[in-house]
Amino acid sequence: MGKAIVITSGKGGVGKTTTSANIGTALALMGKRVCLMDLDIGLRNLDVVLGLDNRIIYDIVDVAEGRAKLPQALVKDKRFDDKLYLLPAAQNTDKNALQPEQVKEIVDELKPEYDYVLIDCPAGIEQGFMNAVAGADAAIVVTTPEISAVRDADRVVGLLEQHPLTEAPRLLINRIRRNMMQDGSMMDIDEITHHLGIELLGIIFDDDAVITTSNQGEPIVMQTDNPASQGYRNVARRLEGETVPLMKIEAEAPTGFWHKVSGWFHRG
Amino acid sequence: MQAAVLRGTQNGYDLVLKQTASFEQILVDLKALLEKLKTDPKALETTKVSLDVLTEDRLLTADEKAQIEEMVGNYPRFEIHKIAANVITIDDAIQLRERENVHLLSKVIRNGQEVVMQGDVLFLGTIHEGGKLRTTGNIFSMGDVSGILQAGYPDDESKLIMGNLQTAQQVRIAEQFDIIESEQLADSRQTIAYVNDLHVLSYGKLAQLKKINPKLYNQIGGI
Repeated sequence: MGKAIVITSGKGGVGKTTTSANIGTALALMGKRVCLMDLDIGLRNLDVVLGLDNRIIYDIVDVAEGRAKLPQALVKDKRFDDKLYLLPAAQNTDKNALQPEQVKEIVDELKPEYDYVLIDCPAGIEQGFMNAVAGADAAIVVTTPEISAVRDADRVVGLLEQHPLTEAPRLLINRIRRNMMQDGSMMDIDEITHHLGIELLGIIFDDDAVITTSNQGEPIVMQTDNPASQGYRNVARRLEGETVPLMKIEAEAPTGFWHKVSGWFHRG
Repeated sequence: MQAAVLRGTQNGYDLVLKQTASFEQILVDLKALLEKLKTDPKALETTKVSLDVLTEDRLLTADEKAQIEEMVGNYPRFEIHKIAANVITIDDAIQLRERENVHLLSKVIRNGQEVVMQGDVLFLGTIHEGGKLRTTGNIFSMGDVSGILQAGYPDDESKLIMGNLQTAQQVRIAEQFDIIESEQLADSRQTIAYVNDLHVLSYGKLAQLKKINPKLYNQIGGI
Protein backbone atom coordinates (compact mmCIF):
# COMPACT_ATOMS: atom_id res chain seq x y z
CA MET A 1 0.00 0.00 0.00
CA GLY A 2 1.47 3.30 -1.06
CA LYS A 3 1.36 6.66 0.61
CA ALA A 4 -0.48 9.73 -0.69
CA ILE A 5 1.33 13.01 -0.11
CA VAL A 6 -0.18 16.38 -0.93
CA ILE A 7 2.19 19.18 -1.93
CA THR A 8 0.70 22.49 -0.92
CA SER A 9 1.67 26.04 0.00
CA GLY A 10 -1.27 28.42 0.11
CA LYS A 11 0.59 31.05 -1.86
CA GLY A 12 1.00 30.68 -5.58
CA GLY A 13 4.29 30.67 -7.41
CA VAL A 14 6.48 29.19 -4.69
CA GLY A 15 7.20 26.03 -6.67
CA LYS A 16 4.55 23.44 -5.80
CA THR A 17 4.39 22.03 -9.30
CA THR A 18 8.17 22.04 -9.77
CA THR A 19 8.53 20.36 -6.39
CA SER A 20 5.91 17.72 -7.24
CA ALA A 21 7.57 16.94 -10.54
CA ASN A 22 11.06 16.74 -9.06
CA ILE A 23 10.28 14.74 -5.93
CA GLY A 24 8.24 12.36 -8.09
CA THR A 25 11.07 12.00 -10.58
CA ALA A 26 13.66 11.56 -7.82
CA LEU A 27 11.57 8.78 -6.24
CA ALA A 28 11.15 7.13 -9.64
CA LEU A 29 14.94 7.30 -10.13
CA MET A 30 15.27 5.46 -6.81
CA GLY A 31 13.14 2.69 -8.27
CA LYS A 32 9.82 3.59 -6.63
CA ARG A 33 6.54 3.49 -8.48
CA VAL A 34 5.10 6.99 -8.41
CA CYS A 35 1.85 8.52 -9.60
CA LEU A 36 1.64 12.31 -9.84
CA MET A 37 -1.84 13.80 -9.57
CA ASP A 38 -2.42 17.29 -10.87
CA LEU A 39 -5.33 18.92 -9.06
CA ASP A 40 -4.77 22.43 -10.36
CA ILE A 41 -7.84 22.15 -12.51
CA GLY A 42 -8.23 24.83 -15.15
CA LEU A 43 -4.55 25.83 -14.95
CA ARG A 44 -2.71 22.57 -15.35
CA ASN A 45 1.07 22.78 -15.48
CA LEU A 46 2.47 19.55 -14.13
CA ASP A 47 2.18 17.84 -17.51
CA VAL A 48 4.16 20.67 -19.14
CA VAL A 49 6.92 20.57 -16.55
CA LEU A 50 7.24 16.83 -17.10
CA GLY A 51 7.10 17.20 -20.88
CA LEU A 52 3.98 15.03 -21.12
CA ASP A 53 1.49 17.65 -22.28
CA ASN A 54 1.11 16.22 -25.78
CA ARG A 55 0.10 12.76 -24.55
CA ILE A 56 -3.01 13.62 -22.56
CA ILE A 57 -6.16 11.84 -23.71
CA TYR A 58 -8.38 11.88 -20.62
CA ASP A 59 -8.09 13.84 -17.39
CA ILE A 60 -9.10 13.55 -13.74
CA VAL A 61 -12.55 15.08 -14.26
CA ASP A 62 -13.27 12.49 -16.97
CA VAL A 63 -12.37 9.80 -14.44
CA ALA A 64 -14.43 11.34 -11.65
CA GLU A 65 -17.48 11.66 -13.87
CA GLY A 66 -17.14 8.18 -15.31
CA ARG A 67 -16.29 9.13 -18.88
CA ALA A 68 -13.01 7.23 -18.63
CA LYS A 69 -11.48 4.48 -16.51
CA LEU A 70 -8.59 5.48 -14.29
CA PRO A 71 -5.89 3.47 -16.18
CA GLN A 72 -7.02 5.11 -19.43
CA ALA A 73 -6.35 8.58 -18.07
CA LEU A 74 -2.90 7.81 -16.63
CA VAL A 75 -0.04 9.12 -18.75
CA LYS A 76 3.13 7.06 -18.60
CA ASP A 77 6.53 8.74 -18.58
CA LYS A 78 8.61 6.60 -20.92
CA ARG A 79 11.93 7.83 -19.55
CA PHE A 80 11.45 5.85 -16.33
CA ASP A 81 10.19 2.54 -17.62
CA ASP A 82 6.92 1.95 -15.83
CA LYS A 83 7.92 3.92 -12.70
CA LEU A 84 6.34 7.34 -13.21
CA TYR A 85 2.75 8.12 -14.17
CA LEU A 86 0.75 11.32 -14.34
CA LEU A 87 -2.95 11.81 -13.79
CA PRO A 88 -3.50 15.15 -15.53
CA ALA A 89 -5.89 17.90 -14.48
CA ALA A 90 -8.74 19.06 -16.68
CA GLN A 91 -8.19 22.24 -18.59
CA ASN A 92 -11.67 23.40 -19.50
CA THR A 93 -13.56 23.22 -16.20
CA ASP A 94 -12.98 24.91 -12.87
CA LYS A 95 -11.93 23.71 -9.43
CA ASN A 96 -15.52 23.12 -8.35
CA ALA A 97 -15.86 20.33 -10.93
CA LEU A 98 -14.53 17.87 -8.33
CA GLN A 99 -15.73 16.93 -4.86
CA PRO A 100 -13.43 15.77 -2.03
CA GLU A 101 -15.10 12.32 -1.99
CA GLN A 102 -14.37 11.82 -5.68
CA VAL A 103 -10.71 12.72 -5.21
CA LYS A 104 -10.45 10.42 -2.21
CA GLU A 105 -11.93 7.59 -4.23
CA ILE A 106 -9.36 8.05 -7.01
CA VAL A 107 -6.47 8.30 -4.53
CA ASP A 108 -7.64 5.14 -2.77
CA GLU A 109 -7.76 3.38 -6.10
CA LEU A 110 -4.20 4.48 -6.94
CA LYS A 111 -2.58 3.74 -3.57
CA PRO A 112 -2.40 -0.08 -3.86
CA GLU A 113 -0.73 0.23 -7.28
CA TYR A 114 1.98 2.74 -6.42
CA ASP A 115 4.56 3.40 -3.72
CA TYR A 116 3.80 7.12 -3.75
CA VAL A 117 0.86 9.18 -4.92
CA LEU A 118 1.95 12.81 -5.05
CA ILE A 119 -0.89 15.31 -5.22
CA ASP A 120 -0.09 18.72 -6.68
CA CYS A 121 -2.38 21.17 -4.89
CA PRO A 122 -3.60 24.41 -6.50
CA ALA A 123 -2.79 27.74 -4.86
CA GLY A 124 -5.35 29.09 -2.44
CA ILE A 125 -7.33 27.47 0.36
CA GLU A 126 -10.72 27.02 -1.28
CA GLN A 127 -12.39 24.02 -2.86
CA GLY A 128 -9.26 23.04 -4.79
CA PHE A 129 -7.25 22.82 -1.57
CA MET A 130 -9.96 20.81 0.17
CA ASN A 131 -10.06 18.40 -2.76
CA ALA A 132 -6.30 17.96 -2.76
CA VAL A 133 -6.12 17.32 0.99
CA ALA A 134 -9.09 14.95 1.06
CA GLY A 135 -7.30 11.76 0.07
CA ALA A 136 -3.84 12.51 1.43
CA ASP A 137 -2.01 10.70 4.24
CA ALA A 138 0.74 13.29 4.58
CA ALA A 139 1.52 16.82 3.45
CA ILE A 140 4.55 18.75 2.30
CA VAL A 141 4.16 22.49 2.83
CA VAL A 142 6.30 24.42 0.35
CA THR A 143 7.42 27.93 1.17
CA THR A 144 10.10 30.38 0.10
CA PRO A 145 12.13 32.60 2.44
CA GLU A 146 9.72 35.49 1.95
CA ILE A 147 7.36 36.84 4.58
CA SER A 148 4.26 36.52 2.39
CA ALA A 149 4.96 32.88 1.55
CA VAL A 150 5.68 32.08 5.21
CA ARG A 151 2.43 33.73 6.33
CA ASP A 152 0.44 31.69 3.83
CA ALA A 153 2.29 28.54 4.86
CA ASP A 154 1.33 29.33 8.47
CA ARG A 155 -2.31 29.59 7.40
CA VAL A 156 -2.12 26.28 5.56
CA VAL A 157 -0.46 24.53 8.50
CA GLY A 158 -3.32 25.83 10.65
CA LEU A 159 -5.88 24.38 8.24
CA LEU A 160 -4.03 21.07 8.15
CA GLU A 161 -4.07 21.00 11.96
CA GLN A 162 -7.82 21.48 11.93
CA HIS A 163 -8.28 18.55 9.53
CA PRO A 164 -5.42 16.35 10.63
CA LEU A 165 -3.91 13.86 8.19
CA THR A 166 -2.35 10.59 9.30
CA GLU A 167 1.08 12.23 9.42
CA ALA A 168 2.00 15.72 10.57
CA PRO A 169 2.86 18.15 7.75
CA ARG A 170 6.50 18.68 6.84
CA LEU A 171 8.21 21.78 5.52
CA LEU A 172 10.17 22.35 2.34
CA ILE A 173 11.89 25.71 1.89
CA ASN A 174 12.35 26.48 -1.77
CA ARG A 175 14.29 29.09 -3.74
CA ILE A 176 16.97 29.75 -1.19
CA ARG A 177 19.57 32.21 -2.41
CA ARG A 178 22.80 31.29 -0.71
CA ASN A 179 24.44 34.70 -0.89
CA MET A 180 21.38 36.55 0.46
CA MET A 181 20.88 34.11 3.31
CA GLN A 182 24.56 34.28 4.18
CA ASP A 183 24.60 38.04 4.48
CA GLY A 184 21.36 37.98 6.48
CA SER A 185 19.15 39.81 3.99
CA MET A 186 16.87 36.78 3.61
CA MET A 187 14.86 35.00 6.29
CA ASP A 188 16.89 32.32 8.00
CA ILE A 189 16.01 28.62 7.65
CA ASP A 190 15.93 28.06 11.41
CA GLU A 191 13.77 31.16 11.85
CA ILE A 192 11.18 29.92 9.34
CA THR A 193 11.16 26.36 10.69
CA HIS A 194 10.86 27.54 14.28
CA HIS A 195 8.11 29.98 13.42
CA LEU A 196 5.99 27.42 11.59
CA GLY A 197 6.69 24.78 14.21
CA ILE A 198 6.73 21.79 11.86
CA GLU A 199 9.48 19.39 10.90
CA LEU A 200 11.84 20.49 8.12
CA LEU A 201 11.88 18.03 5.23
CA GLY A 202 14.41 19.80 3.07
CA ILE A 203 15.82 22.96 1.52
CA ILE A 204 16.19 23.70 -2.18
CA PHE A 205 18.64 26.28 -3.52
CA ASP A 206 17.54 28.68 -6.19
CA ASP A 207 19.15 27.82 -9.49
CA ASP A 208 18.74 29.13 -13.02
CA ALA A 209 18.82 25.59 -14.39
CA VAL A 210 15.48 24.84 -12.67
CA ILE A 211 13.76 27.22 -15.08
CA THR A 212 15.62 26.10 -18.20
CA THR A 213 15.02 22.41 -17.51
CA SER A 214 11.34 23.07 -16.75
CA ASN A 215 11.01 24.80 -20.09
CA GLN A 216 12.45 21.75 -21.78
CA GLY A 217 10.00 19.45 -20.00
CA GLU A 218 12.73 17.70 -18.10
CA PRO A 219 12.84 17.97 -14.28
CA ILE A 220 16.08 19.32 -12.77
CA VAL A 221 16.57 16.09 -10.81
CA MET A 222 17.80 14.45 -14.01
CA GLN A 223 20.98 16.58 -13.79
CA THR A 224 23.11 14.93 -11.15
CA ASP A 225 25.53 17.71 -10.24
CA ASN A 226 23.08 20.60 -9.83
CA PRO A 227 22.58 21.89 -6.24
CA ALA A 228 18.78 22.16 -6.65
CA SER A 229 18.71 18.63 -8.00
CA GLN A 230 20.72 17.46 -4.98
CA GLY A 231 18.18 19.13 -2.69
CA TYR A 232 15.26 17.26 -4.30
CA ARG A 233 17.15 13.97 -4.22
CA ASN A 234 17.82 14.46 -0.53
CA VAL A 235 14.12 15.14 0.05
CA ALA A 236 13.22 11.91 -1.77
CA ARG A 237 15.70 9.96 0.37
CA ARG A 238 14.26 11.48 3.56
CA LEU A 239 10.76 10.48 2.45
CA GLU A 240 12.13 6.96 2.18
CA GLY A 241 13.23 7.19 5.81
CA GLU A 242 16.95 7.79 5.30
CA THR A 243 18.81 10.28 7.45
CA VAL A 244 20.42 12.82 5.16
CA PRO A 245 22.11 15.95 6.55
CA LEU A 246 20.91 19.34 5.30
CA MET A 247 22.98 20.94 2.57
CA LYS A 248 25.27 23.74 3.67
CA ILE A 249 24.25 27.31 3.01
CA GLU A 250 27.83 28.52 2.68
CA ALA A 251 29.02 28.28 -0.89
CA GLU A 252 32.12 26.12 -1.04
CA ALA A 253 35.31 28.08 -1.58
CA PRO A 254 36.70 27.57 -5.07
CA THR A 255 39.70 25.26 -4.93
CA GLY A 256 41.06 25.45 -8.49
CA PHE A 257 44.72 26.07 -9.37
CA TRP A 258 44.28 29.72 -10.41
CA HIS A 259 42.35 30.46 -7.26
CA LYS A 260 45.33 29.24 -5.25
CA VAL A 261 47.72 31.31 -7.33
CA SER A 262 45.62 34.45 -6.87
CA GLY A 263 45.45 33.65 -3.16
CA TRP A 264 49.23 34.10 -2.89
CA PHE A 265 48.95 37.65 -4.16
CA HIS A 266 46.07 38.59 -1.89
CA ARG A 267 47.76 37.33 1.25
CA GLY A 268 48.70 39.80 3.93
CA MET B 1 -50.96 20.68 53.08
CA GLN B 2 -51.19 23.87 51.08
CA ALA B 3 -49.26 23.83 47.81
CA ALA B 4 -48.98 27.65 47.78
CA VAL B 5 -47.97 29.37 51.00
CA LEU B 6 -47.55 33.06 51.74
CA ARG B 7 -44.75 33.87 54.14
CA GLY B 8 -43.82 37.21 55.58
CA THR B 9 -40.14 38.12 55.73
CA GLN B 10 -38.13 41.20 56.71
CA ASN B 11 -38.06 42.27 53.09
CA GLY B 12 -41.68 41.68 52.22
CA TYR B 13 -43.59 38.56 51.24
CA ASP B 14 -42.45 35.26 49.83
CA LEU B 15 -44.92 33.13 47.93
CA VAL B 16 -43.62 29.58 48.26
CA LEU B 17 -44.81 27.02 45.72
CA LYS B 18 -44.17 23.58 47.21
CA GLN B 19 -42.04 21.32 45.04
CA THR B 20 -43.83 18.19 46.25
CA ALA B 21 -47.20 19.35 44.94
CA SER B 22 -48.19 19.05 41.30
CA PHE B 23 -48.33 22.20 39.23
CA GLU B 24 -52.11 21.85 38.80
CA GLN B 25 -52.51 21.66 42.59
CA ILE B 26 -50.36 24.78 42.96
CA LEU B 27 -52.60 26.69 40.55
CA VAL B 28 -55.70 25.63 42.46
CA ASP B 29 -54.24 26.50 45.87
CA LEU B 30 -52.76 29.75 44.63
CA LYS B 31 -56.11 30.86 43.30
CA ALA B 32 -57.75 29.97 46.60
CA LEU B 33 -55.09 31.85 48.51
CA LEU B 34 -55.36 34.97 46.40
CA GLU B 35 -59.16 34.91 46.57
CA LYS B 36 -59.02 34.66 50.35
CA LEU B 37 -56.62 37.58 50.64
CA LYS B 38 -58.72 39.64 48.25
CA THR B 39 -61.93 39.17 50.23
CA ASP B 40 -60.20 39.78 53.57
CA PRO B 41 -58.98 43.40 53.49
CA LYS B 42 -57.41 43.16 56.96
CA ALA B 43 -55.16 40.28 56.04
CA LEU B 44 -52.54 42.58 54.61
CA GLU B 45 -52.01 46.13 55.69
CA THR B 46 -50.15 47.60 52.71
CA THR B 47 -51.97 48.57 49.61
CA LYS B 48 -49.63 47.04 47.03
CA VAL B 49 -47.94 43.74 47.80
CA SER B 50 -44.81 42.68 45.99
CA LEU B 51 -44.24 38.94 45.94
CA ASP B 52 -41.03 36.95 45.64
CA VAL B 53 -42.17 33.65 44.17
CA LEU B 54 -39.97 30.78 45.36
CA THR B 55 -40.33 27.44 43.62
CA GLU B 56 -37.95 25.45 45.85
CA ASP B 57 -36.18 22.69 43.88
CA ARG B 58 -38.43 23.00 40.88
CA LEU B 59 -37.67 24.85 37.66
CA LEU B 60 -40.75 26.39 36.04
CA THR B 61 -40.95 26.42 32.29
CA ALA B 62 -41.60 29.71 30.54
CA ASP B 63 -45.18 28.58 30.00
CA GLU B 64 -45.73 27.78 33.68
CA LYS B 65 -44.19 31.10 34.70
CA ALA B 66 -46.60 32.86 32.38
CA GLN B 67 -49.55 31.06 33.97
CA ILE B 68 -48.48 32.12 37.46
CA GLU B 69 -47.92 35.70 36.34
CA GLU B 70 -51.26 35.79 34.59
CA MET B 71 -53.10 34.52 37.65
CA VAL B 72 -51.43 37.01 39.99
CA GLY B 73 -52.04 39.72 37.42
CA ASN B 74 -55.78 39.23 37.89
CA TYR B 75 -55.47 40.62 41.42
CA PRO B 76 -54.43 44.28 41.32
CA ARG B 77 -53.22 44.21 44.91
CA PHE B 78 -50.38 41.88 44.06
CA GLU B 79 -47.40 42.03 41.77
CA ILE B 80 -44.58 39.59 41.17
CA HIS B 81 -41.13 40.93 41.94
CA LYS B 82 -39.21 37.84 40.79
CA ILE B 83 -39.54 34.10 40.36
CA ALA B 84 -36.63 32.19 41.85
CA ALA B 85 -35.64 28.57 42.40
CA ASN B 86 -32.94 26.82 44.40
CA VAL B 87 -31.70 25.03 41.30
CA ILE B 88 -30.41 25.91 37.81
CA THR B 89 -30.12 23.81 34.67
CA ILE B 90 -26.86 22.06 33.81
CA ASP B 91 -26.50 24.32 30.76
CA ASP B 92 -26.74 27.39 32.93
CA ALA B 93 -24.29 25.86 35.39
CA ILE B 94 -21.78 25.20 32.62
CA GLN B 95 -22.16 28.74 31.37
CA LEU B 96 -21.68 30.05 34.87
CA ARG B 97 -18.53 27.99 35.25
CA GLU B 98 -17.29 29.20 31.85
CA ARG B 99 -17.88 32.79 32.88
CA GLU B 100 -16.36 32.64 36.32
CA ASN B 101 -13.27 30.49 35.79
CA VAL B 102 -9.86 31.40 34.44
CA HIS B 103 -9.29 29.18 31.43
CA LEU B 104 -5.85 27.90 30.61
CA LEU B 105 -5.08 27.97 26.91
CA SER B 106 -1.84 26.67 25.50
CA LYS B 107 -1.94 26.36 21.75
CA VAL B 108 -0.54 27.84 18.59
CA ILE B 109 -3.00 30.23 16.95
CA ARG B 110 -1.88 30.52 13.37
CA ASN B 111 -2.46 33.07 10.64
CA GLY B 112 -6.18 33.25 9.88
CA GLN B 113 -7.28 31.28 12.94
CA GLU B 114 -9.54 32.77 15.57
CA VAL B 115 -9.98 31.19 18.98
CA VAL B 116 -13.13 32.28 20.81
CA MET B 117 -13.32 31.80 24.59
CA GLN B 118 -15.67 32.65 27.44
CA GLY B 119 -14.49 34.30 30.62
CA ASP B 120 -10.94 35.01 31.72
CA VAL B 121 -8.10 33.39 29.82
CA LEU B 122 -4.58 32.62 30.94
CA PHE B 123 -2.79 32.27 27.63
CA LEU B 124 0.39 30.20 27.53
CA GLY B 125 0.65 29.51 23.80
CA THR B 126 1.77 31.41 20.75
CA ILE B 127 -0.21 33.68 18.45
CA HIS B 128 1.31 34.06 15.03
CA GLU B 129 0.83 37.13 12.86
CA GLY B 130 -2.78 37.14 11.67
CA GLY B 131 -4.03 34.90 14.50
CA LYS B 132 -6.63 36.14 16.95
CA LEU B 133 -7.68 35.31 20.50
CA ARG B 134 -11.07 36.66 21.62
CA THR B 135 -12.82 36.31 24.94
CA THR B 136 -15.59 37.90 26.96
CA GLY B 137 -13.37 38.33 30.02
CA ASN B 138 -9.79 39.36 30.79
CA ILE B 139 -6.69 38.00 29.06
CA PHE B 140 -3.55 37.23 31.03
CA SER B 141 -0.86 36.38 28.53
CA MET B 142 2.39 34.61 29.31
CA GLY B 143 2.91 33.46 25.73
CA ASP B 144 4.37 34.99 22.60
CA VAL B 145 1.80 37.21 20.96
CA SER B 146 2.40 38.41 17.40
CA GLY B 147 -1.29 38.55 16.48
CA ILE B 148 -4.45 40.11 17.88
CA LEU B 149 -5.81 39.94 21.44
CA GLN B 150 -9.37 40.95 22.20
CA ALA B 151 -10.81 41.06 25.72
CA GLY B 152 -14.26 42.05 26.94
CA TYR B 153 -15.98 40.99 23.72
CA PRO B 154 -18.41 42.39 22.65
CA ASP B 155 -18.82 45.48 24.85
CA ASP B 156 -17.34 45.12 28.34
CA GLU B 157 -14.84 47.93 28.74
CA SER B 158 -14.01 46.95 32.32
CA LYS B 159 -11.90 44.03 31.12
CA LEU B 160 -8.18 44.23 30.60
CA ILE B 161 -5.23 42.50 28.96
CA MET B 162 -2.00 41.79 30.78
CA GLY B 163 1.28 40.48 29.48
CA ASN B 164 3.96 41.34 26.99
CA LEU B 165 2.11 43.14 24.22
CA GLN B 166 5.11 44.64 22.49
CA THR B 167 5.06 42.30 19.51
CA ALA B 168 1.25 42.12 19.12
CA GLN B 169 -0.38 43.51 15.99
CA GLN B 170 -3.46 44.86 17.71
CA VAL B 171 -4.98 45.05 21.17
CA ARG B 172 -8.75 45.25 21.42
CA ILE B 173 -10.95 45.70 24.47
CA ALA B 174 -14.70 45.76 23.89
CA GLU B 175 -15.13 48.10 20.93
CA GLN B 176 -11.87 49.98 21.45
CA PHE B 177 -8.79 48.92 19.55
CA ASP B 178 -5.20 49.99 19.19
CA ILE B 179 -2.69 49.18 16.50
CA ILE B 180 0.61 48.49 18.18
CA GLU B 181 3.50 50.30 16.50
CA SER B 182 6.91 48.71 16.69
CA GLU B 183 8.46 50.96 19.34
CA GLN B 184 5.26 51.80 21.18
CA LEU B 185 5.37 49.47 24.18
CA ALA B 186 8.10 48.33 26.50
CA ASP B 187 9.35 44.77 26.29
CA SER B 188 7.71 43.92 29.60
CA ARG B 189 5.51 41.12 30.83
CA GLN B 190 3.86 43.51 33.25
CA THR B 191 2.08 45.69 30.73
CA ILE B 192 -1.65 46.20 31.22
CA ALA B 193 -3.96 47.39 28.49
CA TYR B 194 -7.24 48.88 29.70
CA VAL B 195 -9.97 51.30 28.70
CA ASN B 196 -9.81 54.53 30.70
CA ASP B 197 -12.60 56.88 31.81
CA LEU B 198 -12.53 58.68 28.47
CA HIS B 199 -13.19 55.36 26.69
CA VAL B 200 -9.70 55.36 25.24
CA LEU B 201 -7.48 52.32 25.24
CA SER B 202 -4.38 53.02 27.27
CA TYR B 203 -1.50 51.18 28.89
CA GLY B 204 -0.13 50.89 32.38
CA LYS B 205 2.06 48.72 34.57
CA LEU B 206 1.05 45.85 36.79
CA ALA B 207 2.00 47.93 39.85
CA GLN B 208 -0.76 50.41 38.93
CA LEU B 209 -3.49 47.76 38.81
CA LYS B 210 -5.08 49.05 42.01
CA LYS B 211 -5.63 52.40 40.37
CA ILE B 212 -6.55 51.07 36.95
CA ASN B 213 -9.13 48.50 37.98
CA PRO B 214 -9.87 48.53 41.74
CA LYS B 215 -12.67 46.01 41.35
CA LEU B 216 -10.47 43.34 39.84
CA TYR B 217 -7.70 44.22 42.27
CA ASN B 218 -9.98 43.62 45.25
CA GLN B 219 -11.41 40.48 43.72
CA ILE B 220 -8.02 38.84 43.35
CA GLY B 221 -7.00 39.50 46.91
CA GLY B 222 -5.30 42.87 46.94
CA ILE B 223 -5.99 45.15 49.89
